[in-house]
Amino acid sequence: MTEALARSANDAVDFLRQVSKAVPKAAVVLGSGVKVLEDVVEDTFSYDQVFGMSPSIVGHAGSLSLGRVDGQLVAVLRGRFHLYEGHSWDVVTLPTRVLAEWGVPYLFLTNAAGGLNPKFKVGDLMLLKGYRDHLNPRWKQSGLVPALMLPPTDCQNDLTRHVWKVGERLASEDAAFRPLRTGIYAGLLGPSYETLAEIEMLKRLGADAVGMSTVPELETVIGTQTKAAAISVVTNVWSEESKIEGHEEVLREAKAASVRLDKLFRASIASLP
Amino acid sequence: MTTVTTLRGARLVDYTRSTARSHQFPGFGDRVMSFLREPSDSRCLVVVDRGYMMRQQASHVVRDHLNLTGTNPLVGPNDPCGERFPSVNDVYITDLCPDLPRGVAAGLMAGVFPTREEMEFLRSLGADFCCYNLVPTMIVAAHAGLKVLGLVVPEGVHVDPVLDVVLGS
Repeated sequence: MTEALARSANDAVDFLRQVSKAVPKAAVVLGSGVKVLEDVVEDTFSYDQVFGMSPSIVGHAGSLSLGRVDGQLVAVLRGRFHLYEGHSWDVVTLPTRVLAEWGVPYLFLTNAAGGLNPKFKVGDLMLLKGYRDHLNPRWKQSGLVPALMLPPTDCQNDLTRHVWKVGERLASEDAAFRPLRTGIYAGLLGPSYETLAEIEMLKRLGADAVGMSTVPELETVIGTQTKAAAISVVTNVWSEESKIEGHEEVLREAKAASVRLDKLFRASIASLP
Repeated sequence: MTTVTTLRGARLVDYTRSTARSHQFPGFGDRVMSFLREPSDSRCLVVVDRGYMMRQQASHVVRDHLNLTGTNPLVGPNDPCGERFPSVNDVYITDLCPDLPRGVAAGLMAGVFPTREEMEFLRSLGADFCCYNLVPTMIVAAHAGLKVLGLVVPEGVHVDPVLDVVLGS
């Protein structure tokens, strides 16, 4: 692989300090086909320029843009490195380590996820209150059974509470803004989709949504000054009757929910403490 | 030892024995992957694996699985024989042998032996028995567009009578 080309977090932070005098108030990491803050493109750098390498899949462009949202400096990261592509944990967590080291206080993470909670509808936004880590490379040493026996990791903080309040306000002001969901995200390695038996297992373990990302980032900010809030865009709902449509369907549904997510992020960033 | 051959036109990967006529190698690995990805007229795979921690000491037809190996054979750049994000549902063939019980296989990492408590926990999550090679084999086969008849036989049981029953029908 091209992992050797990846920059160290230090070098990437040096690069960002050269191109931006100020540290952004917030950073937003966008997953599969999630299109928000599209006007934030003032200064755009490829992942190659910033991190020394780029991801390798349709729907994940791999760029870092700096711009303003309601006067606040914001970094928008479009695309991410995934474990299923064969990238190491170090590469997958590089952007998050860079943002934390740069001193970005607030980090918004997004992903496209399958809904497990029967109340969820396609296009819902779920704010993560916790997550299950089923994708960590350490499970290669033991298999997944020990992971199943762990409770979910709580990821609530001042930022998630802030986003929740903003979501409540938007829903009360605007009938088109569906109330936010909240729940547990199960991060699986992929790249094959979950089997029906795995979906049943994840439900019994209390998971509300399932995807293949975000957990590495949430694990990475633990113990740093950066607070993270992660939001899943529910792009399909699992049931015995409905079978998954594939990646193109994921991209299409993610697009529709992006409008609501865009509102949520703008309002959340505008009123950050 | 693993047998890789064809049986009545279908691909056969048998992890429960070896024969003099076939390639022999230990467990799931690159050679099984290449075998599954070779172009062929048959879109079927018969995979036979040992089942452990079975409640009922009988050969089973696999109807679904839990991948608990901690990894996935498709990690890395996508092989062009299949999609980046393959669905692995609707892949198991379960209607060929109505006399055999069906079950959900928990695919474990080689060398992992669940305790009785862990096995009870896995049962509560939907597993009926454990095996070590079937799940990664099935994932690669599904990615390559194959349908899979998964047979799991308990220790000490020879697979031939099972295959005769299945393939004689």
